[in-house]
Amino acid sequence: MTYQARLRLTVAALALAATPVLADTPDNQLVVGFSMTNILTLDPAAITGKETVQVLANVYDGLVQLDPVNRSEVQPDLAERWDVAEDGMSITFHLREAEFASGNPVRAEDVVWSFKRLLTLNLAQASFLKTYGFSAEGADAAFAAPDERTVVVTLPQKVNPQLIIATLGIVGPGSVLDSVEVMEHEENGDLGAAWLAQQSAGSAAFVLQQWQSNNLVLLAENENFWGEKPAMRRIVWRHIPESQSQRLQLERHDLDIAFQLAPADLTALQTAEGVKIQTTPSAGFYYLAMSMADERFQDAKVREAMRYLIDYKGLNEAILPFYGTEHQRPISGGFFGLLEDPGYAFDPEKAKALLAEAGYPDGMDVTLRALSDDPFLNLATAMQATLAQGGVRAEVITGSGDQIYGAMRERKFEMLVGRGGGGQLPDPDSNMRALIYNPDNSAEARLTNFQGWRTSFYDEELNRLIDAAASEVDVEARRQMYADIQNRIDEVVPPILPFSEVVTSAGYRDDLEGFVVNPSWSTDLSTVSKNR
Amino acid sequence: MLTHSRTRGFARQVGTIAVTLVGLLILTFVIGRLMPADPVRAIVGEEATQDTYMQVYQELGLDRPLPVQFLMYLRDVVTGDFGTSIRTGQPVIHDIAAVMPATLELATLAILIGATLGITMGVIAAVKKDRWPDQLIRVISLAGHSMPIFWTGMIALLIFYAWLGWVGGGGRIDDYFIGLVPEVTHFILIDAALAGEWEVFWSALNHMILPASLLGYSSSAYITRMTRSFMLDQINQEYVTTARVKGLSVRQTIWRHAFLNIRVQLVTIVALAYGALLEGAVLIETVFSWPGFGQYLTSNLMIGDMNAVMTCVLLVGVIFIALNLLSDVLYRVFDPRTR
Amino acid sequence: MQTETLKKGRTMTVPGLAPLGRILRFLMRQPTSAFGLGVIGLLIFGAVFAPWLATHDPYAQDLANTLAPPGGGHWFGTDELGRDIWSRLVWGTRITLTIIALVTVVVGPIGLAVGTIAGYYGGKVDTVMMRITDIFLSFPSLILSLAFVAALGPSLSNAIIAIALTSWPPIARLARAETLTFRAEDYVSAARLQGASDARIILKSIVPMCLPSVLIRLTLNMATVILTAAGLGFLGLGAQPPLPEWGAMIATGRRYMIDSWWLVTFPGIAILCVSLAFNLVGDGLRDALDPKQMNRR
Repeated sequence: MTYQARLRLTVAALALAATPVLADTPDNQLVVGFSMTNILTLDPAAITGKETVQVLANVYDGLVQLDPVNRSEVQPDLAERWDVAEDGMSITFHLREAEFASGNPVRAEDVVWSFKRLLTLNLAQASFLKTYGFSAEGADAAFAAPDERTVVVTLPQKVNPQLIIATLGIVGPGSVLDSVEVMEHEENGDLGAAWLAQQSAGSAAFVLQQWQSNNLVLLAENENFWGEKPAMRRIVWRHIPESQSQRLQLERHDLDIAFQLAPADLTALQTAEGVKIQTTPSAGFYYLAMSMADERFQDAKVREAMRYLIDYKGLNEAILPFYGTEHQRPISGGFFGLLEDPGYAFDPEKAKALLAEAGYPDGMDVTLRALSDDPFLNLATAMQATLAQGGVRAEVITGSGDQIYGAMRERKFEMLVGRGGGGQLPDPDSNMRALIYNPDNSAEARLTNFQGWRTSFYDEELNRLIDAAASEVDVEARRQMYADIQNRIDEVVPPILPFSEVVTSAGYRDDLEGFVVNPSWSTDLSTVSKNR
Repeated sequence: MLTHSRTRGFARQVGTIAVTLVGLLILTFVIGRLMPADPVRAIVGEEATQDTYMQVYQELGLDRPLPVQFLMYLRDVVTGDFGTSIRTGQPVIHDIAAVMPATLELATLAILIGATLGITMGVIAAVKKDRWPDQLIRVISLAGHSMPIFWTGMIALLIFYAWLGWVGGGGRIDDYFIGLVPEVTHFILIDAALAGEWEVFWSALNHMILPASLLGYSSSAYITRMTRSFMLDQINQEYVTTARVKGLSVRQTIWRHAFLNIRVQLVTIVALAYGALLEGAVLIETVFSWPGFGQYLTSNLMIGDMNAVMTCVLLVGVIFIALNLLSDVLYRVFDPRTR
Repeated sequence: MQTETLKKGRTMTVPGLAPLGRILRFLMRQPTSAFGLGVIGLLIFGAVFAPWLATHDPYAQDLANTLAPPGGGHWFGTDELGRDIWSRLVWGTRITLTIIALVTVVVGPIGLAVGTIAGYYGGKVDTVMMRITDIFLSFPSLILSLAFVAALGPSLSNAIIAIALTSWPPIARLARAETLTFRAEDYVSAARLQGASDARIILKSIVPMCLPSVLIRLTLNMATVILTAAGLGFLGLGAQPPLPEWGAMIATGRRYMIDSWWLVTFPGIAILCVSLAFNLVGDGLRDALDPKQMNRR
């Protein structure tokens, strides 16, 4: 290419760049911005975190689905209806006529196979069922397919059956896979895990077309979908980790939905033209955690001191708007049995006194771990300052999920600002299992899905109460049990101190119709259309 | 025709490169072993028993002495096995092949811009030596070299995308065009042109122009300085004076004679500058959500994906060696004095 | 862009320390390098007098006054935790200078040692050492630093180590070239005849002769060090919060950029100015060392 030609090209390019472009997204495609940092696989049995659930909710069906509005209700999905046995020990699901994306029929056998696969692989999602006594060994007895269209779930232990039905509505443990399709791609007895990491075998409105790590997920319409044809031909999920970029692209019509908007941007978008915001209560809490593997935190007085070094009001007002709302009990708002907030407040003097009583009159040096993302970094930095006022000198360690929660899973941390605590299953039991319950505190148990185990917290009385409340069928008795649990928590000070309840806020173009964010993350996008 | 001494020179160069490559491998090996990530845990997962862990530990050869481990790494690399990425579960080499075109496309457009800008400024600066255009060009080109490119990228994005709306935002094209053009070369501009999808083509160019211009500008400082100094050497030579005496105009003298004489040197300079663009690409890709090599490298660094990082570092080293070699070869082939 | 890597093989020779004053005068005569010197002077001034120049504690949070725009109380506004940006910038000069100083202190001796030893002994020692140098030179410094920091763990001190590890090779090459010219000098031979050990000759006779050009080369390197450190800070691999490192300030400020431009603008300008200043001075030095230029003016 000659020098002149090169010059002409550059000039042409610059001239082009000077033409304003206003690109609306097309009518039959949905462009969604979110962060893909936590997406490591798309196998429903192996996923972790919110983002994969958001994607897979549109790819896999369950027997039932959780209602996005009435949090304690369950709606039919692949099962048209279900009956609970009189003794409460088994549930019979009646399947509708449906096909997988591959064209294979959805059979009761596939459902049973999916649950067995989940328990056999024994990855992160299996713990949802394991907590209620399901296991790989007992799977044959627990799940049966008497005919093509009937699935019978027999409970291995006495549990309130509504809990099991709701659990099967969660994306991941409840996702139903096309067993024929998956087994065609099995390698070395992995039950298709390698293949499913990148492909899909579901029956929902969309199929996974492409996944590029930290770049994008492409979903295409499922031609064989059993339900109403979705308005969207494709959903493009783009990895846009920065909230400001998501906001810009949303404002400029380059995005239809932005899932990861920071509070500052949500506040600004409230007045932006053509953009709406939906805020829904979500799952879990923001909490300050301590490791009781560290002997200083074995002293309840030290843990209680920390309770008074959290600036509940300040954090919720300055850092957490659109992230969370002030909340101190470890049971999600709107759930069954929740008591009024105990009203803890920031009180450095009281904390100092407690620390002195515990034998730390000069305070202590600790490390405080936090993800380097919003809002954790800000929470940690703010908390560093309030802790210092009580004489607790915290060194903030930031890092990726692997470095921060990884350290927690290994029990190798001192203090940590995190988010979690169940609530994906809309029942107080899920909060209790996630945050407090710990059936085996030994290091070998590696019950990494229980934050109780991660923080080395073990209280026999609480374990017993939680188990009893889960299986109690009488409503008032159950309510009283959760009251007892909460009072005991107030007293023994478990090492996880919630200070805010997570809310989810999504920004979206105002021409979208039928967009309802599901508090359990499983937002159904097949009902979304554009009205222009 | 190759002379005897030339063959020997060539052989020595090949030897040097081989030694450098082995050194590179040692360096990446050391970096990999220093990384805090546990490669065994990455393979067996959180729930594995101690037996499984030890089995994989031994399969990976981590119980062997380091030199043996290095030889195993060498063997793997020679047979083209760069390991599997923790994040994607795919062979690293497959991942890199998927992200590399995005970076190459960006860097190529950037070097076109940078070379045009740099050579033009360099020639002007040489001709107007020590007068105000020279001083101005010095400041302009050094400013490009001094700017923290991630910062300039953010500010430019804010001005040209958010406020003025002249260019596309992050990403290679508007998101809804993704996957609509058959991927032949993986260069979106070329693929779109081949498919006749001009809308996609403009969208891609629209997204690329801003990061490419910034990268090009930042690389122009070096090209400007070298062009200026080469031109000064030429201008001071006698034939230029002679040509002037013969009545050729200033412009003719400069472009017909002086510039033609330095074109070989310029090609080698541009080749080297191309390699240096990779560095800017790492930062600018983060700012522009560019799904390329730089983003792949940084995101894997953050999660300690050892195989991916080792291979990326190795690749950059190899590219640099290759470009250095290329510029040497170009110089030898085209330079009239060595012909 | 990476000047070191590209410029390998080009060396400069300066005959002893005496002309340093002359070089300084030359730099002051040129408007561009005089500006550079001025900015560097300000940087040092800011670092020395940071406690007096800063109007606030750079770490003091004020959650009631977050993201306040530039104005009376806060000249450059406040950040997302209500910290005063001006004060953080001023204290940040200390971090920038620390990085430059530490890298220089580490790189100078390493480069000198490798270069003089290779040059003095020649032969196999030379070949091996220069081969190692070449290997390090075959990376752009940011990418190699990234890999090192990933291996060592992200922190300011590791960032400094990583940058130092990647910036000694050009110094080593220069020192070697210098040594080659001095090796055959009479006084070196004389020292050898008197029975001085090799170590003594290198330390007493060769190193002092290499020092001036090495010092100048280190100055030329500083702009790159600043940009690399800022890049690492921006990627979250350099200085960790709450340190007021400029690159890290940009990285966090980025989350509020649209509404609060001052969070990223001021640290960015600071990096640009300082790095430009070092580049301008470096450019002036390059001219100053060109004998044709010095004598003509």
